[in-house]
Amino acid sequence: MTISRRGFLKKGLIGGAILAGGGVLALMAAPGKRTRAPHGPLAVLTPYEYAIFSAAAARLCPGDGAAGWPTAEALQTGDKLDALLAQLHPGAARDFKRLLHVFESAVTGLTSTGTPRPFTRCSPAQQDRRLEVWRHARVELFRSGYQAMKRLAHALYYSSPQIYERVGYPGPPVVPQSPP
Amino acid sequence: MSPTPSLLNPGRIRDARQEPNLAVECDYAIVGSGAGGSVAAAVLAESGARVMVVEEGGHYTRRDFNMQEAWAYETLYQDHGNRATEDLSIVILQGRAVGGGTTVNWTSSFRTPDRTLALWAARHGLSGLDAAALAPHFAAVEARLSIREGNPDDVNANNRKLLEGARKLGWNPELIRRSVKGCARLGYCGMGCPLDAKQTAALTYIPDALAAGAHVFTNARVKLIETDRGRAKGVVCDVKDPNSTRPKRFVVYARRGVLLAGGAINTPALLLRSKIVNASQTLGQRTFLHPTVPLVAYYDEPIEGFYGAPQSVACHHFADRGDRVGYFLETAPVHPMLSAVALSGFGDSHRRAMERLAHAQATIALLIDGHHDDPGGRVRADPDDRIRIDYPLTPALREAAVDAINNMARLQLAAGAREVVTLHENPIVIRSEADLAQVDGAAFGPNRHTLFSAHQMGGAAMGTDRATSVVDARGRHHEIDNLWVVDGSIFPTSLGVNPQLSIYAHARLFATEIAQRH
Repeated sequence: MTISRRGFLKKGLIGGAILAGGGVLALMAAPGKRTRAPHGPLAVLTPYEYAIFSAAAARLCPGDGAAGWPTAEALQTGDKLDALLAQLHPGAARDFKRLLHVFESAVTGLTSTGTPRPFTRCSPAQQDRRLEVWRHARVELFRSGYQAMKRLAHALYYSSPQIYERVGYPGPPVVPQSPP
Repeated sequence: MSPTPSLLNPGRIRDARQEPNLAVECDYAIVGSGAGGSVAAAVLAESGARVMVVEEGGHYTRRDFNMQEAWAYETLYQDHGNRATEDLSIVILQGRAVGGGTTVNWTSSFRTPDRTLALWAARHGLSGLDAAALAPHFAAVEARLSIREGNPDDVNANNRKLLEGARKLGWNPELIRRSVKGCARLGYCGMGCPLDAKQTAALTYIPDALAAGAHVFTNARVKLIETDRGRAKGVVCDVKDPNSTRPKRFVVYARRGVLLAGGAINTPALLLRSKIVNASQTLGQRTFLHPTVPLVAYYDEPIEGFYGAPQSVACHHFADRGDRVGYFLETAPVHPMLSAVALSGFGDSHRRAMERLAHAQATIALLIDGHHDDPGGRVRADPDDRIRIDYPLTPALREAAVDAINNMARLQLAAGAREVVTLHENPIVIRSEADLAQVDGAAFGPNRHTLFSAHQMGGAAMGTDRATSVVDARGRHHEIDNLWVVDGSIFPTSLGVNPQLSIYAHARLFATEIAQRH
């Protein structure tokens, strides 16, 4: 479940090329949308990185269209991610931030799904498509990147007591505390 | 360095962040307070030695254990619940608190199998360590941890399906012996027992060690082992200072020796960071994980695998598959977060799977790695203290995983499952034997299928040959006379059973002989 991965963007020519191209073209392309704003000050993520992860979490988790389910935003998955990253090895946090930028990149969109747009500017269907392509990619690097985002989004979302009822989990039993 | 008169009996658990001293002195410094570190601390302290244990995690008690996954995994596990192999293909669950892995394990207790000991002797040249040498130590630990014969009343619906399916197929399931006393079978062993029913190191050998004068320093991460002219002098720790961005340095000087019990992965990484002479060049290599393949079955009736003793039934029918990698079957608890991470997919398909959670049964197959030619993994330590774990999924492991998925599905169908769903990224739905043909052709490799590990072993293996091992058959480092490893790192292969009890017993044997030296 770690979000770190050695040289996530250094390993393999494809990863390196995507990073280099993504960096250049990201400047040329339309900037990403930052419609999802943090609920408080961020420790590790920039507001843009927060918006990228939140956009991915919105598609990975239920809530956007699933009746009765809270949204990932309502459960503050982006804020929880920031708090988690602040506790991890700085190198791990750095790797995950890089992953977010590659995932967001319009170049990545072009090469993976043929949609030359930042992830945050894609339609929900286009966003799902990009996640699917990364999930099943032949390039191991993309599959790892997908798993990093998927596992974190699901861990942060499904550890919230607000979803217990939705999954048929009554929650932990009440345990009487005896005197020490 | 401070004098240590205050360290006379009785000892106590001290938060290193509040510690006024920058350095302390003792006879033995022990790194880690889990199964190996706790029993070694107790044995050495009871022999009259002054012992200090350094623990990277915090000290938590039943009052802290709130049975919430959000708190438990972030607080009680390595890397705040985010440890994994480098390619993320295997999620690694490993404890990090006073009590180490025993604080969060699922209580399953097995002695080291005879065939594993025989393999170590035959293939890894390990002499002088056999069942007879270990037997009194197993017996002592079993008594201290209240490990008794498996109890049929412990079997919840999740485990009952494993029991019934394996019985129907003639696979000889067994009840698991558990390290519990007065267990209410709440189902939250992996998040810390709120009733103190689980007999963790924090409730047994750590109090024994404290009673004999040992001290435990928490929230202190050992960065380096200090050596001088071939002798271990002590350990240097980083302590997070809440008032500073820079960690505080805290040194434990050890007059007689240093014992490492930070667990497989952390111990090899510490030895690598410390640049301890390693003639064999095997340090960090042959790291074994019992790579674990889960399979989910859905039943018409509620299973509620979130409640009840997490593991009470095991099946070792496939442990010995001759030339092929073996595996054994157990169950895993079915709490929302752990399940959500394990289930493949996202969005609506993932949501639908989660909505069936109360009816889900989870059987797991633990691959017995290292018993054949599979090389296991490798631990690396970066200059910036980051730990990397590489673990190749070899064709031999793939073959075992596919066989295990097929047999787990057979078992669950025999137990009455309506359908079985694999955890491939393209999940396969199995409703009858005919559907199993799809499993063989399914992609299986890094991040193609959910895998996790709750058992970490190897990386600083025992052996008599310095060219192929790091420590001797009593855990003593081949190059540093007063440095020992007393955790799961010492195992030359994976065990083929849950490792907690074996780590305790080996550490108790080693510590007893160390105590006899001084």
